[in-house]
Amino acid sequence: MASKAAVLHLVGLGRSYQEIGAALGIPPGQAYLVGTGIPADGGGTVSRAQRTRPGMLPSRTQCLVNPREAPPPPAGPVHEWMRTRARRDQLTRPGR
Amino acid sequence: MRQLPIGSWPVWRQLTGADRTGRAASVKSRRSDALSARTASADRVVKSICPYCAVGCAQNVYVRDERVVQIEGDPDSPISRGRLCPKGAASLQLTTDSGRLDKVRYRPPYGTQWQDLDLATAMEMIADRVIRTRRETWQWEEEDGGLLARTMGIASLGGATLDNEENYLIKKLFTALGVVQVENQARVCHSSTVIGLGTSFGRGGATTFMQDMQHADCIIIEGSNFAEAHPVGFQWVLAAKARGATVIHVDPRFTRTSALADLFVPIRAGTDVAFLGGIINHVLTEGKDFREYVLAYTNAATIIDERFQDTEDLDGLFSGFDPQSHQYAEETWQYEGVQLVSASGERDNQYMARQAAQIDRPGSPGRDAGEHGSGEGEKHGSGTAALDGQARRDPTLQDPRCVYQILRRHFSRYTPEMVERICGIPPEVFAEVCRHLVDNSGPERTSEFVYAVGWTQHTDGSQFIRSASILQLLLGNIGRPGGGIQALRGHASIQGSTDIPTLFNLLPGYIPMPHAHKAQTLDDFILADAARKGFWANMRAYLVSLLKAWWGPAARADNDFCFNYLPRITGSHSHYDTTLEQLGGTCKGYFLLGQNPAVGSANSRMQRFGMANLDWLVVRDLNMIESATWWKDGPEIESGELVTERIGTEVFVLPAAAHTEKAGSFTNTNRLLQWHHQAVEPTDDRRSDLWFMYHLGRIIRQKLAGSTDPMDRPILDLTWDYPTTGSIAEPVAEAVLAEINGWNSDGRPLSTYTELADDGSTVCGCWIYCGVYSDGVNQAARRKPAEEQSWVSPEWAWAWPANRRMLYNRASARPDGRPWSERKKFVWWDEEVGRWTGYDVPDFEPTKRPDYEPPDGARGVAALRGTDAFIMQADGLGWLYTPTGVADGPLPTHYEPQDSPMDNLLYRQQRNPARLLRPHEHNRYHPNGSQRGAQIFPYVVTTYRLTEHFTAGGMSRHTPYLAELQPEFFCEVSPELAAERGLVHADWATIVTARNAIEARVLVTERVAPLHVDGRIIHQIGLPFHWGPNGHSRGDAANELTSISLDPNSHIQESKALSADIRPGRRPRGPDRVALVRDYQRRAGITERTGTEA
Repeated sequence: MASKAAVLHLVGLGRSYQEIGAALGIPPGQAYLVGTGIPADGGGTVSRAQRTRPGMLPSRTQCLVNPREAPPPPAGPVHEWMRTRARRDQLTRPGR
Repeated sequence: MRQLPIGSWPVWRQLTGADRTGRAASVKSRRSDALSARTASADRVVKSICPYCAVGCAQNVYVRDERVVQIEGDPDSPISRGRLCPKGAASLQLTTDSGRLDKVRYRPPYGTQWQDLDLATAMEMIADRVIRTRRETWQWEEEDGGLLARTMGIASLGGATLDNEENYLIKKLFTALGVVQVENQARVCHSSTVIGLGTSFGRGGATTFMQDMQHADCIIIEGSNFAEAHPVGFQWVLAAKARGATVIHVDPRFTRTSALADLFVPIRAGTDVAFLGGIINHVLTEGKDFREYVLAYTNAATIIDERFQDTEDLDGLFSGFDPQSHQYAEETWQYEGVQLVSASGERDNQYMARQAAQIDRPGSPGRDAGEHGSGEGEKHGSGTAALDGQARRDPTLQDPRCVYQILRRHFSRYTPEMVERICGIPPEVFAEVCRHLVDNSGPERTSEFVYAVGWTQHTDGSQFIRSASILQLLLGNIGRPGGGIQALRGHASIQGSTDIPTLFNLLPGYIPMPHAHKAQTLDDFILADAARKGFWANMRAYLVSLLKAWWGPAARADNDFCFNYLPRITGSHSHYDTTLEQLGGTCKGYFLLGQNPAVGSANSRMQRFGMANLDWLVVRDLNMIESATWWKDGPEIESGELVTERIGTEVFVLPAAAHTEKAGSFTNTNRLLQWHHQAVEPTDDRRSDLWFMYHLGRIIRQKLAGSTDPMDRPILDLTWDYPTTGSIAEPVAEAVLAEINGWNSDGRPLSTYTELADDGSTVCGCWIYCGVYSDGVNQAARRKPAEEQSWVSPEWAWAWPANRRMLYNRASARPDGRPWSERKKFVWWDEEVGRWTGYDVPDFEPTKRPDYEPPDGARGVAALRGTDAFIMQADGLGWLYTPTGVADGPLPTHYEPQDSPMDNLLYRQQRNPARLLRPHEHNRYHPNGSQRGAQIFPYVVTTYRLTEHFTAGGMSRHTPYLAELQPEFFCEVSPELAAERGLVHADWATIVTARNAIEARVLVTERVAPLHVDGRIIHQIGLPFHWGPNGHSRGDAANELTSISLDPNSHIQESKALSADIRPGRRPRGPDRVALVRDYQRRAGITERTGTEA
């Protein structure tokens, strides 16, 4: 079983939690929990003192446990539609 | 019992294995070892926002195999910080519950059963009915020739639970069709907020934001059960408390909010103005006001017209009251030497007088209001009054006609003793509240007020909020960290549905709907309505950009940009007036878009009678709500008052998409637009309201194509070409947001409303939202984690206006621009760089020096001084006294509720003289106080929300998780009342008013303690208002008891304080229920005139 010491040792070597998880055979979020005592999914309240624990990440720890985040739809078609509308709406330009 | 080998015991594994502390492998069984979290096995996570209350908690929606499998709180949110309340946690079932509507249901006229109908046919049929009803009911002109260009035959209700983009299309399409009766839950919940805050400060939204509450030194929560109704937001109260703040809860009931407060103050429902007026009196008589702030930032020094008479002079009335019409004329309330016209929504109503009087000429006379009857009350003040002339001021505050002295005199009789006699609050408790509030206000300390519908839903609800506004201005608590007034709104986008209003009297951005006039031009409208000073002076640019957004190339300078395509209003067309129009046969078609008036609106019985008189009804909802089924199983069917086979209303029920099934933005309670992405496509016939409105408009336009009828030009010329996506042709919500934001002639998105032009060169669907799509980026979708930015979190979503989180924050600095104190530093003037700077976007022109004085004749923004912290106000000041814009008086005055067991102890005037009543055989009122018959209804009912339920129950009583948590309707009564009336805990009680009788389980509790009020014991009854006869959890609706009696400003109903009787046992069934109510009416001597006195 992965120990806190093992996790923090790898953290000290500059490894990411993805790498640590792979090395220890556990998910990266679990590696974070083992190393810091704080759930990576944001399910716990983190005190100011806890934020200074070794291995703590400043933010975005939920990325260690969540599946990929769905990307927003591309805005390009909206931009093109706006330009089309602007042409069609016959917006008068100042000075014309 | 099967013997398990000891080796399988968890404790054995723990003691013999490596996991001695039992924190990992040893606590797993074989089964649990094989389980994995739904979050872990999901394919993707989609960012969303909770669709319930308006705290706006961020959600992670987990999707596997194109199905939503779990919803969790998003820890990145600076507002919710990963938390969800029971409703938010149960929002999964809004998507996944098998009981959701999935197919269109159709009830033909006089039909007795639902029928199947395919969606496409339903859409065609609805479009046909809209066209037909519109044709049959079209009005071009008033009798006197004023332009109407509208139909009163169609109405719409709903929008507060919908996205901004959906509200936008609803308002746009219906306005183009000439439908003016467009309303939503904002009318029912917080319309009085807009009046109270808007007239006081210049904008109708909460002045602050949730996270800032942690900086308060004292928080007074009044008219709200914050901890239970907005649980996740309440964490910021606790954060303040952890930092040493004093928390005070003032409420008729002891709740979980009270349990976490330092001081609980029980109060008789409906008497808050007396209580707050008492505190104002304390502040003024003890000289505890924040004098430097008051002098610099409020109208305390302004001199009022010598004709003004106060309630002190007229025993509860102000000057200008007409007892025949129950209305006030405002001329005598105004600033000396200044011509003021009311806040938005009213100004246009007076435009003819302004034109006739050529109001640009200082000192010209005003005009009596009144040509539009009930519409006089519509003064939704987010914006300002138009002001002409220069007010005289007395900085010594000694002039007897200055606002400060008028305030002192007005509130002088609100003594602690009077507070006790009216509210039932002992003087020592009252003194403690005063002490905490005063001690925690000033340069070094700030206090915040928090309220919800406990303040808004009264016949003088706007004045409740005005009272707190006056107090906070006197104490210097507006625009400062830890200060302000927090309006807790209860629907995900009820703020948005006010900003982009599905409200009859407003256009987007609080531009008023025009009233009917003869030959009114755009310039006439602007002249009558736009302010001369401040940012409202640019109203023409806001309106022209809106008209270009709606009518594109058809909107040209030579046709007033299609200004006459806008249908005209002629008075009140609010939700409750629509009910009367239905009963009268004028309104024939009705859209219910996520709203359930058969449960959620006052006098729900009257709502059903109204719907029974329609030709057609379209209901769009997640579940089969009562407003869809009243024709077959409503209480009036049981009583025999309605007979299914004789009801001609044709009913279409269309299943709605859940928040996970569509993209769009909600505007939370603090003006923050937050985007939720679509996680999955809706299945079966479920569709978003964006889809419904877009395709309804498309079909109608197809059917009308080629028409030469002038009434069809606005709908045919409408810009209605939104791009669509997916298999169901869902309109792209981001494109709608882009139109709301606006663009210039190159199609480049605008960055801020100061870029808007009045010459037709810019498009903008809602000027206050301009900037939400700046740089072509959906700013509402920003989700930079809270940990990566300051506590203000400016890169989390986007707030109107201009991404400011705290309004009026210029007032967080001294008049000279320096912070009031290091501890309360927020926005200040940086002399070196010549700009305002700080933790937030300054609510001020960024480079205007604090010592700037406008030159003579300056207008618009240039006329604002360097100390005018309230930039939307005509005089740049916070209004302690409202010379215009509040229909029932320039100062709050205590009146008893419409139905009250008490006499008004302060004045001979019993009730708000300007309140709006709608006497009707189904809407009778009670005798009051010492009037004969009042003793028949001796108790006070107040209504409230539960943590586990939502409004009229459509999103909670059908949700298994929530219905199980809170399964039955109940009434809360004290042990003393239980003893007095023989009520037994967990047994049944019947509660009766002149409108109806309901039954509820009895909850005997000390939480609603009897109050000693003027030598009497007043018992109060608490009723949650969520129930109705449908869903998993069923019960009578509290709104069967309430009446249509309205605040004259906002047309909000009084559902937070009313008199009633309670008796043990279940209510009678069928016709006997009606007979019981009739018997009560007879015993109380109630007639059509009862309670209608001025």
